[in-house]
Amino acid sequence: MSSSLSVDNPEAARQAADEFRTVHAAIREEVSRMMVGQDATIDGVLAALFAAGHVLLEGVPGLGKTLLVSSLGKAIHLTFSRIQFTPDMMPADIRGTNVLQENETGGTKLEFQPGPLVANLVLADEINRATPRTQAALLESMQEKQISVGNRTIALEEPFCVMATQNPVEQEGTYPLPEAQLDRFLFKLVVGYPAEEDYRTILRRTTSNNEVALNPVSNAETIIRMRQVVRSVPVPDHVETEAIQLVMATQPGSEYARPLVNEVVSLGASPRGVQSLILAGKVRALLDGRFAVAGEDLKAVAPDVLRHRILVNFHGMSDGVTPDDVIQEVLK
Amino acid sequence: MKQNEPSQLSHDLEIVSMTLASQIQSQDRGDFIRDSIPTALKLLIVMPLFAILVQLFRWATGVSAGWFFSWTSWSLLTVAVPLTWLFARVLTRQVEVSRHRALLAADKQIGSSERIATADHFMQRPSRDGFMQAAVEDAADWVGRAREASLDEESVRRSRSFLSLWPIPFAVIGLLIAAFLTQYARVPLAGDPSLPELSSVADPISIAPDPSQPKQQPNVEELPDPNPEKEPPPEQRSQRAVNRQGSSGADIPDEAEESSGKLSEGETRESQQSANPSSARGAPSTSGQPSKSGEETKRERKPKKKQKPEKEREKKPRPQEEKPSGATAGQGSSKGSDNNAAPSDWASTSQAATPDDEDIEDEEDVADEEEEQESRGGVQPNLRDRRTPVNRDLQIGFGNAQPNPDANGRGGPGGQKKSRGVASLVLGVPIPDRVNGQPNKGRIRITQQRITPEAEQSDPVAAQDRLPRQGSVGPIHHPDFSPWLQDFVRRYFLERRAQNPLQASPPENTTSTTPQDPLQTSAVAESDTPQS
Repeated sequence: MSSSLSVDNPEAARQAADEFRTVHAAIREEVSRMMVGQDATIDGVLAALFAAGHVLLEGVPGLGKTLLVSSLGKAIHLTFSRIQFTPDMMPADIRGTNVLQENETGGTKLEFQPGPLVANLVLADEINRATPRTQAALLESMQEKQISVGNRTIALEEPFCVMATQNPVEQEGTYPLPEAQLDRFLFKLVVGYPAEEDYRTILRRTTSNNEVALNPVSNAETIIRMRQVVRSVPVPDHVETEAIQLVMATQPGSEYARPLVNEVVSLGASPRGVQSLILAGKVRALLDGRFAVAGEDLKAVAPDVLRHRILVNFHGMSDGVTPDDVIQEVLK
Repeated sequence: MKQNEPSQLSHDLEIVSMTLASQIQSQDRGDFIRDSIPTALKLLIVMPLFAILVQLFRWATGVSAGWFFSWTSWSLLTVAVPLTWLFARVLTRQVEVSRHRALLAADKQIGSSERIATADHFMQRPSRDGFMQAAVEDAADWVGRAREASLDEESVRRSRSFLSLWPIPFAVIGLLIAAFLTQYARVPLAGDPSLPELSSVADPISIAPDPSQPKQQPNVEELPDPNPEKEPPPEQRSQRAVNRQGSSGADIPDEAEESSGKLSEGETRESQQSANPSSARGAPSTSGQPSKSGEETKRERKPKKKQKPEKEREKKPRPQEEKPSGATAGQGSSKGSDNNAAPSDWASTSQAATPDDEDIEDEEDVADEEEEQESRGGVQPNLRDRRTPVNRDLQIGFGNAQPNPDANGRGGPGGQKKSRGVASLVLGVPIPDRVNGQPNKGRIRITQQRITPEAEQSDPVAAQDRLPRQGSVGPIHHPDFSPWLQDFVRRYFLERRAQNPLQASPPENTTSTTPQDPLQTSAVAESDTPQS
C-alpha cells in the first residue's frame, strides 16, 4: 500500500471509502473479541485513531478501559507502550532522558534514552494521578507530535495516539487535567457499564481457560492512509457553518450562546473544538457510507467532542448542570 | 476541475427544489394562519369591549344614539376586525423558501442525510474532487426518490397548539352587554342641547324627554311598576321635588326626604339620580319605596352608618396634615388621631411622615379599623403607637449575659443624636461622629460629618487671682515621716478620739492646734525637726 492518496475521480473515492470501512470493521471486530459490551467506546476510540486525535477515557474501575487500549495496540501492528501515572512520576520518566554512557574508546557520552512516550499508541493510565508537571510533558507530544529533551527535539513516529484513562470517582490524590491538556483530546468518552447479556460473555471469556489471543489486522501505514482518506472527505458550506455556530454557541457571551450557556458556562469550546468536530464528522460520514459530512454527523459526535471543552462554572455545578446538559441545550 | 455536468440530476434537483419550495410555502402559510387564529380570536373581544365603553360613555354623556351605536353594527365590526387583521397579515407575509432549504426539507423527508442538499452544493462548485463527485453521484438515486415523494405535512408542520375558543363567548357576552346598554341606556338630561336631535332620531328606545314634561316614561312596557297604586301624580312629585315638603312627608324617612323624588315608571334609580345632579350626592335615595317596614328601614339605615366614617375620613386627614402633633400618633406610620393620641416622650417636631409610611397607610383598610375602634368604646390610638421606643443602650461594657439585639443606640428624641459608636472609642483620633438622623425613618442611614476639630475658647485666669483651696484635700502623704513616727501619731489620735470623741477634730486642725497637749506638741515638733 502506498502512503499517498490521490482521490481524483469518484471511483477512487469509493474505493478509498470502502477500504476505510473495511479496515475499520476489521479492527473493530478484532478488538470486540476481547472487549465486550463497549461498542460505542470502541467506535469512539477507532474514530479518534482514524481522525488523528487522542482519546480520554473516563470511567469507574473495572470497565476495561485499559484492556480496550491494550487490545487496540494488539489488533494494530503498532508500537504500544503503557504509562501508569503516579504522583511521583517526573516528565523525564515518560519522555526519556539523556544518559551518560561509555563509548568504545572508554570515554563517556550523553545518549538519549527514549521514554514510553516514544511509541505509536500510548496508554496513559490514570493520567490524573500524575502531577501537573508530568501531565504538561504530554502537551507538546500530543499537539506537535514531538518531544524536546535538553536541546534536542525528537519527532514522534506517526501514527501517534495517546489514549488516557481516568477515574472519576477516586478524586483524592489526583490532579485534574488542565484545560489546555483537555483541549488536546479529540474525544472524551465516558465508559459505562455493560448490559446484562454482556456480563455473561465477559464471564465466559475471562473466567475460563479459553484465552483470547488478538492478532494484528492492520498496521501503521494503513492507519496513516486511512487518516488521509478521512481528511479527503469534503464538508459542505452549510455544515461548516453549522459546526462553527455549534462551537460558538458553547462560548458564553457569543452571538449564538443560549441563556443557559451564558449563565453556567465559564469556558466554551475553542477553535480546536471545531477542528475536532469536523474530523470526527468525517469519520462518521465515511462509516455511514456517505462522501460528505452532514449536519447529523456533527450532532452525533458533538457530545464526545465538546464534553471536555466546556467548563461549567460554580453556579452551574451547584445547580447540577453538567457539560452534557449544556451540549444538549446547544444542540436543540 | 469542471467535470461533466449531470444535466439530468441538475434538472431533477431543480424540480425537487421548486416543488418542495411551493409545498413549504403553502405549509408555512397554513401554519401561519393557524398560529394567527388564536390572536384573531382574541381580537373578537376588542370591539365588544369598545362597544361597552362607548355605550357607557354615551350613557354618561347622553350623546345621541345613531346608527353607529346599534348593536348590529357592533356585531359586524366584531367579526370584521379579526378577519381584516388576519387577511392583512397573510397578505403582507412574504415567505421566500431558498433552494437549499427546500432541498434540506427533501432530505429530511426521505431520510437521505442531506445527500441531496450536499450534492446540489457541490454541483454549484466550479471544480469537484473525487469525493465531491462521488457525493453528487451518490445523491442521484435519492433525488429520484425525492421527486416521487411529496412533502409529509406532519413531518414539517409544527405541532398544533390548542385552539382556545374562549374569546368567542366573551365576545358574545360583550355584544349582549353592549346591546343591553344600547336598549336600556339612560334618558339624556333635560335641557340637553342634543335633545332636539335625539327626538328626531327614529330610535324609540332612546327618545329624549321633553323638557316641559317633568316625568319621562321611556320603556314603560319593559320595566313593571313596583307599586303602581301608591304612585303619586306627576304634579305632586314635581312639587315635592321642589319643596321637599310633600304631603306624605311623614311617611317618608329622612333619607327619602332628602332625595329628589321617586323613580318613575320604567326609570332606573341611577337614571333618576343622574338626572338630578343636585341630589346625586345625598343619602341613598329610598324613593320608589313608599311603604317602609321595619326591616326596610334597617336596611336603609345601614349605609348611613357606613357613610359616617367616610365623612369623618374626609375631614380627619386635613388637620393631621396641617397641624403636626406633638405625639407619636401624628408621626410616621402612626395612624391615631391627634386628639386622642397619648403624648410621648419621643415626640419630635422634626419628624415627618415618610412616603413609605404613607404607602402603608394606603394599604390599610381604614374603615375596618375605625369600626374596631368604635367597638372598643371610642377611637383608640393605633397599636403601632405603642411600640417600644428604640433602645438607646449601646451594649458597651461587660457582663451583659443577654445583649439586646436592638440596642444600637440609634434611638432618641432628637433629630441630631450623638453617636457613641466605635469611632468615639478610638482615642487620639479626632473623629467627630455626630450623626444626623431621625428616629424610625425607614432604613438606618448613618451620615458621618467630618468636622475639623476646633479648640475651645477659654479665658485664662491669672495665678494671683486664684483663691486658696476650699474644703478637704484628703489624706496627705508625708513621705518624710518614719514608719514608727507615723504609727505613733496614729495611735495618739486614736487614743485621743477614744477619750473624747466629741472634741475629735479633723486631721487638718490637728496640725494647727495650740500647743496645749504636750504629746501633740512634741509630735509636731518632732515632725518639723529633721530626722536624725
